[in-house]
Amino acid sequence: MQVMGAGATLIAFTILLPWAGALAVWGLRRAGAQHGLACAAATLTALVTLGLIPLTANGERLTLTLPLGGSWGDLTFAADGLSVLLSAIAAVIGALAVYFSVGYLHGTPPADLGRYYALVLIFIGAMSGLVLTEHLLLLFFFWELVALCSYALIAFYGDNPAAVRGGLKALILTQTGGLGLLVGCLVIGTALGDFRYGTFLAKAGDVPTGALALAAFGFLIAAAAKSAQVPFHSWLPDAMEAPTPVSALIHAATMVNAGVYLLARFYPAFVTVPGWADAVVIIGVLSALVGGLMSLATDDLKRVLACSTISQLGFMVYAVGVGAVFASQYHLLSHAIFKALLFLSAGAVIHSLGTRDMAHMGRVRADLPFISIMLLVGALALVGLPMLNGFWSKEAILDAGLSQGAGAAFLAMLVGVCLTALYAVRMLDRVVFRSPAPDSPAAPPTPHVMRWVCGALCLGTLTSWLLAEPISRAFEATLPFHQTFAVSLPDMSAEIVESAALPLALAAMGLGAVIGGLRGWAMRRWPLPGGWRRFADEGFGVEPLNRLVIRITQGTADMARRTQTGHLNWNVVGIIGGWLVVMVLIVMGGAR
Amino acid sequence: VTSLTLAPPLVWLLGVPLVGVPLVYLTRRRWLLLVALASMWVLFILSVIANAGTPPRQAYQIGGVPVLMDGVGLLLAGVALTVGTAAAIYSLPYLAGERGRERYDALILALIGSVIGVGCAGDLFNLWLWFECLSVTAWLLVAFHQERGAALEAGIKYLVQSAVGSALVLMGIALTFWETGTLDLEGIRGAATATLGLVAAGTLYVIGFGVKAALVPLHTWLPDAHSQAPSGISALLSGIVIEAGLLALLRALAALTAVSLSWGWLLLVFGAVNLCAGNLLALRQSEVKRLLAYSSVAQLGYMLIGIGIGVTSGEVGGAQGGLFHLITHAAMKALAFLAVGAMAVGVGHSLTIADLGGASRKYPVMALGLSMAVLGLGGLPPFAGFLSKWQIFASGVATGDALITAVVVLAAANSVLSLAYYAPLANALYRREPSAGARDGAPLAPTFTVIVALLALVVVGLGLVPGLLDGLTERAGAALVAAFAR
Repeated sequence: MQVMGAGATLIAFTILLPWAGALAVWGLRRAGAQHGLACAAATLTALVTLGLIPLTANGERLTLTLPLGGSWGDLTFAADGLSVLLSAIAAVIGALAVYFSVGYLHGTPPADLGRYYALVLIFIGAMSGLVLTEHLLLLFFFWELVALCSYALIAFYGDNPAAVRGGLKALILTQTGGLGLLVGCLVIGTALGDFRYGTFLAKAGDVPTGALALAAFGFLIAAAAKSAQVPFHSWLPDAMEAPTPVSALIHAATMVNAGVYLLARFYPAFVTVPGWADAVVIIGVLSALVGGLMSLATDDLKRVLACSTISQLGFMVYAVGVGAVFASQYHLLSHAIFKALLFLSAGAVIHSLGTRDMAHMGRVRADLPFISIMLLVGALALVGLPMLNGFWSKEAILDAGLSQGAGAAFLAMLVGVCLTALYAVRMLDRVVFRSPAPDSPAAPPTPHVMRWVCGALCLGTLTSWLLAEPISRAFEATLPFHQTFAVSLPDMSAEIVESAALPLALAAMGLGAVIGGLRGWAMRRWPLPGGWRRFADEGFGVEPLNRLVIRITQGTADMARRTQTGHLNWNVVGIIGGWLVVMVLIVMGGAR
Repeated sequence: VTSLTLAPPLVWLLGVPLVGVPLVYLTRRRWLLLVALASMWVLFILSVIANAGTPPRQAYQIGGVPVLMDGVGLLLAGVALTVGTAAAIYSLPYLAGERGRERYDALILALIGSVIGVGCAGDLFNLWLWFECLSVTAWLLVAFHQERGAALEAGIKYLVQSAVGSALVLMGIALTFWETGTLDLEGIRGAATATLGLVAAGTLYVIGFGVKAALVPLHTWLPDAHSQAPSGISALLSGIVIEAGLLALLRALAALTAVSLSWGWLLLVFGAVNLCAGNLLALRQSEVKRLLAYSSVAQLGYMLIGIGIGVTSGEVGGAQGGLFHLITHAAMKALAFLAVGAMAVGVGHSLTIADLGGASRKYPVMALGLSMAVLGLGGLPPFAGFLSKWQIFASGVATGDALITAVVVLAAANSVLSLAYYAPLANALYRREPSAGARDGAPLAPTFTVIVALLALVVVGLGLVPGLLDGLTERAGAALVAAFAR
């Protein structure tokens, strides 16, 4: 391994440390030791990853080269503002999720626990690798590796058929999208003879127009599949069969962001492709709306949050589409924190009450007061209430959308804001504010470690927006092709407060909250058509489409099986027939 | 052609099985098999050393018999020895106490020797001879459990279909000899022109050898044979025997390069058909060994596509990727078959996916090995299959040909499809509620665990450090492309 500079060692450690921890924890056979080792590995990883921040903050770009030799060439990693931000999110929230798991998975048999922690740690390393690499082959490698971890963790409760189905669905849908990434990477690598990002971003103009367009839309498909955007969104709600810390880490805070990261990373190269930015905006807007509506149609607390993730990722994708790369990553940070808070609080509720159905969650306020507050803070940040981190980042997106994007798209995003407030109020109403049924049993208290983790995330929700200045400064210094500019906190807040988008957004929020409050009354007067809920819950027609594809594939497979007759005579007929066909093909193709 | 002054290690590599097979059979000493394998390893390593730094294509004349030792033959010998050794050691406990073990041991050695012979043959006669040796030994091994009707049926099907293939090959050889007056591959290459007779000969090679290589629609013997054979043999059949058929096909076809421009495209078409058919046939399969057998049909498609890319475009990377996939597939499929076979020994009967439910409780190493193998076959990192597929796809796109790019996309989409049967298999292993078989299964011999763990290490090792075998695959790929150059 050829290491350039001491900082490069840190890059290697952010990936290898959790992997080493994974191997070790898999070998252990005592639950206590497994919990301890997993926490230690996750903590160390987080510290090492945070160690990258001061090294990149002064504009230095750390690189690490792995010479694979022969035809494989050199594989490179580079730490810049964008990659360090995302790997820090992965490592820190990863560590918090691991601590939370100590309480949440208490009592799991050691064989399963070892596998669980190993997969989570492999995931943390792979996610860091995914954002820290600057080589397209490695990007694809890590892209698939996180998909593998995600699938294995969704299907962790293997005795539950829904979990197995959900895992498989997530795997197949994200892999299908991954085809776009594969083709894009190969097309770029072929055109430039080099798989490094630096070369591509510098010489995107040298790639033939058709090939560049193929890569741009291929990457967009991959990003949409990974980030659960329309029309691939249906896997994310079904992924909620995973243990809740996994939902918080992989399916809210990190892996699903990989798509947004991909778009942001290659935005400067693809923005010249006609129609690409518009397509990104359309996918973002549709996802923001579809996710919000789906969120209204379900009673499962985790599904509500999953649909909300689809919607919030739509905001980020929209931001990239209008060219606001910094705003998209700023919201990514806010969302990672408040959504992890929401998921882990929801996990605490589910852990205590033993149900995910919001209809049976009356006792949360009375029995879990601390968790109620956590849920409230998380939900308000999600809505975008002023001074919470979600407010600043969402306003930054809307401000950019108003000034740089199409008016219709901006209006649609306002509807998205309104929907967010609506489903958040609905969720709070059902989980926190509803008074308990008199005879329901008291909920057992939440383990300390879980409350502690939620508290830490709550603190992050209140303060992470203060990081705008250092993040934007790092972006400006280390992303030479993105043309993002450093903003100071006072400038940014002044801009947001004076933006015309702010009153509109606040009005949309208020409207959503009011509708949410009056929802019960309105539903009695104007009941929605019966099929609506089902339609929304099935991803607006996507689910029947998935089923159709599965049916066709299985039908073809069954037909293919009939060709295997088992009769020797037919087998020999196949051989002779095969020869005739080949002979005809070759004689006819002789002119070629 | 250099005349032979000092016998190269290669000659001895072919000689060991000739001497060893009767010895192992007659003396019934199992350690003799291990000694024979060990000496073959030494000779193989010497061959590799002797081959390094020489031109990729070396032809010898041994007693008037032309012998080739190019990268392809060396690669096939290496894979055959690796999988063969693993299968032979694995079979020590697998067949413990069974009758006729000496037959089995001798046949395994003969099988490995025949595969190496196929890889080294420099003329059509010897190619056919080694190929027939391979067919007969493989048939005897498939039908090793003669007391089982299903094994006998599978053996007969295999024998008859192989014989049909051999007859076609023989006709092809006759036509070639008629047209060119020689059986030496180099001589044919020099004399071949585009006549109808030679076109027919070429297609007869494709179909005749294609039966053994399990090209669709000639593959119909494979699911029975692979699932009925003892698991060590299934690993060998899947890992090297069908690949030996493929390389024999390529050897014979390369001599007829001048006859048609379409050979490479034919490989691509068969590759695409194998992929789709293999995956669809495996999709609804519930018996694990049959599922793995169909998966071999599909995986052969990747090798065909890689090599087809190399042949049509002269892109060495394609052939290299195809051959790298031959290696990674052999490792992954051997791992899968040996892990399943070991669990089947523990449970006491052949396994369906449902039987494997919760098997990770009782057989953690086997379950982990099997899941690594199938996920790697599905092309997921960090396992070996990911990188060999990447290499094939990358060289396909690098040709810049729209049709080849479309084949690459089809192949990649097939990887996704294949996950739809690989992933549920891996899931079943990690259920918490064990199936009856997995609950009451007997403990396994440590030999199984060691072999499976070693193969699993190979699968991850090649997935993380693919450059390890670059020397081998690059020479082989270059030799293959050179053989098809006009």
